Amino acid sequence: MRPVGFSTTPNLVLRLPMWRSRLMLFLLFFVFMMLLLRAFWIQGPGNAFYEAKGVRGTQRELELPASRGKILDRNGQVIATSLEAKSVIAYNDTVPDDLATDKVQKLASLLQISESDLRRKLKEERKQIFLKRQVDPEVAQQIKQLEIPGIGLNNEYRRFYPEGEAMAHVVGFTNVNDIGQEGIEYSREDQLAGHAGQRRVVVDRLGRVVEEVGIDRLPQNGKDLQLSVDSKIQYIAYNAVKNAVEDHHAKAGSAVVIDTQTGEILALANFPSYNPNDRRYLTGEQLRNRALTDMFEPGSTIKPFTVSAALEKGSITPSTSMTIGASYLVGKKPITDTHPNGVLTIAQVIQKSSNIGAAKIAMNYLSPEEMWDMYSAVGFGQAPKIGFRGAVAGTLHPYEKWVASDQARIAFGYGLSGSLFQVARAYTIFARDGELVPITIERSPEFKPGTRVISAKTALDMRQMLETVTQPGGTAVKAQADGYRVGGKTGTAHKLVGKGYGNKYLAYFAGIAPISAPRISVAVMIDEPTGGSYYGGDVAAPVFSAIVGETLRTLNVLPDSNGKQTALDDKGPAEIHTASVQTQHVVSKR
Amino acid sequence: MNRATLTLLALLLICALSLVAAQQRARKLFVAQERAQIEERKLNQDWLRLEYEQRNLSKSARIRDVARNQLRMVPISPERTLYLKEAQ
Repeated sequence: MRPVGFSTTPNLVLRLPMWRSRLMLFLLFFVFMMLLLRAFWIQGPGNAFYEAKGVRGTQRELELPASRGKILDRNGQVIATSLEAKSVIAYNDTVPDDLATDKVQKLASLLQISESDLRRKLKEERKQIFLKRQVDPEVAQQIKQLEIPGIGLNNEYRRFYPEGEAMAHVVGFTNVNDIGQEGIEYSREDQLAGHAGQRRVVVDRLGRVVEEVGIDRLPQNGKDLQLSVDSKIQYIAYNAVKNAVEDHHAKAGSAVVIDTQTGEILALANFPSYNPNDRRYLTGEQLRNRALTDMFEPGSTIKPFTVSAALEKGSITPSTSMTIGASYLVGKKPITDTHPNGVLTIAQVIQKSSNIGAAKIAMNYLSPEEMWDMYSAVGFGQAPKIGFRGAVAGTLHPYEKWVASDQARIAFGYGLSGSLFQVARAYTIFARDGELVPITIERSPEFKPGTRVISAKTALDMRQMLETVTQPGGTAVKAQADGYRVGGKTGTAHKLVGKGYGNKYLAYFAGIAPISAPRISVAVMIDEPTGGSYYGGDVAAPVFSAIVGETLRTLNVLPDSNGKQTALDDKGPAEIHTASVQTQHVVSKR
Repeated sequence: MNRATLTLLALLLICALSLVAAQQRARKLFVAQERAQIEERKLNQDWLRLEYEQRNLSKSARIRDVARNQLRMVPISPERTLYLKEAQ
């Protein structure tokens, strides 16, 4: 008997079929092949995808911020500037999901949002998300000290307006993305806007830049813009209008100051105004640049143009006299004057502001076409092209459509309309010996030739008449300015309420100064003065007086009035000579 | 052949090391440049901020207020002004 070893007992021998081990071998081989193939795929053809994924973790596109251009006044003083503010950005693929609760709470309180809001924002799918815009520098510093991975600070700009309310309607304002919304900020957006650049960088885990891969776009800063407005004169005008509106419990008021030699707008003020630095109040009525956007019937301020047209024709002279009477019937309603007049000269028609006189001049000496030509030539019916949104053209109906009562009433300013700005500009023809000057809002301090509308002789006659308005016997003695001879015309217009004229008024004064060598044209409007007088001569003329006196002194214009001027010693008036006009020339030093 | 190989190997090693050194330098310079740029921006911003502050302090409303109420000044008027003529 063959010995049988314990360990090799035939009972224990497994008779495994050959195919099982083959199968096992094959499976193992197959799995290894799969791994090999996968490795080959990752290293070879599929490489680009993984490389991009790797880069995404470490590379970022950073914006290279570009600043918006500054806006300067005519003396180089800043009236709008951009200062840096930080915005807080979350790079959501970098922010860890298990961020400590106290850090989230701190961040939420610094950003002044609720913790749940913050958590929701951090879970959003977007790669990067603004948590807050325009954060104060101190808050930004505290956020940085939290050292949360994936929370970054980006540089942004915020707009500041040092002159605040006084300059608000001229400069306008920008929105949170630094895009102009109103005023010059809006109309000169192309020039002012900066164009941000972009660069790609490599960052470490905390978001610090360690290497620059490349610059895609270079940033382009916006260009600075210098306006013709003088912040001092602007403030003078704003303040005068504001005081008048408050004193007369009026609804609103505006004033425009134009340099008649250069056509530059020196001031354009409206009240009520707003503070462009405070975003909470940037809506509603107070945003309106009334001097340019509100149409009104110019009332008596139009009379000098009616008279000019007749003088120009040669049919009358300033001393021609005419019977006025108590009323004058053209069409259905009689025309009346506030104070009845008997016989007046043409000059007195202007001085006393006689409606009947103006209507008679129109009906007796002028054709509708001649009147239309005059009003149109001084700018009524055309929107001024100075780059403000909403500047109105006013209405001046074609003369073919005028009936007799239209013609008579248009002669004293009812039945046509325009903006206060148009009135101020129209008055430059009296200051410039008959030329209408082109207007600009950008600084350009050289003398500009204008378009001739009336002859120099007519303009001189008109200046003398306009001066009598401010002298005893005229309608606007209160327009007199300290040290300067002024001339102008009052206006008191019934306001159109619905279809008819109610008991609401507009008080105007438009004029030029100094009369001996006119330098500025000023127009003032006070809307709905209540409590006491509503006449242009009582409400608007004092505003004109205040603006003219201070403005001419600011411009270093020599006083030309002997009446109020007294010398300090007994030797008669001190030597008077034009003080050289010094316009400050502060060029920004950037 | 051996000598040539060894020389090339040495050259290769030197090149590799200098590449590392150059990269290190580049990084350092980059960091320095970044810092300088940040500094430039900061100074620029400071300048703008100071200009704004100066403007804020010199705005017409404040000048008028200080002149009238603190310094007790009054507006000039032609009666009290002497106009001087420059000698010709």
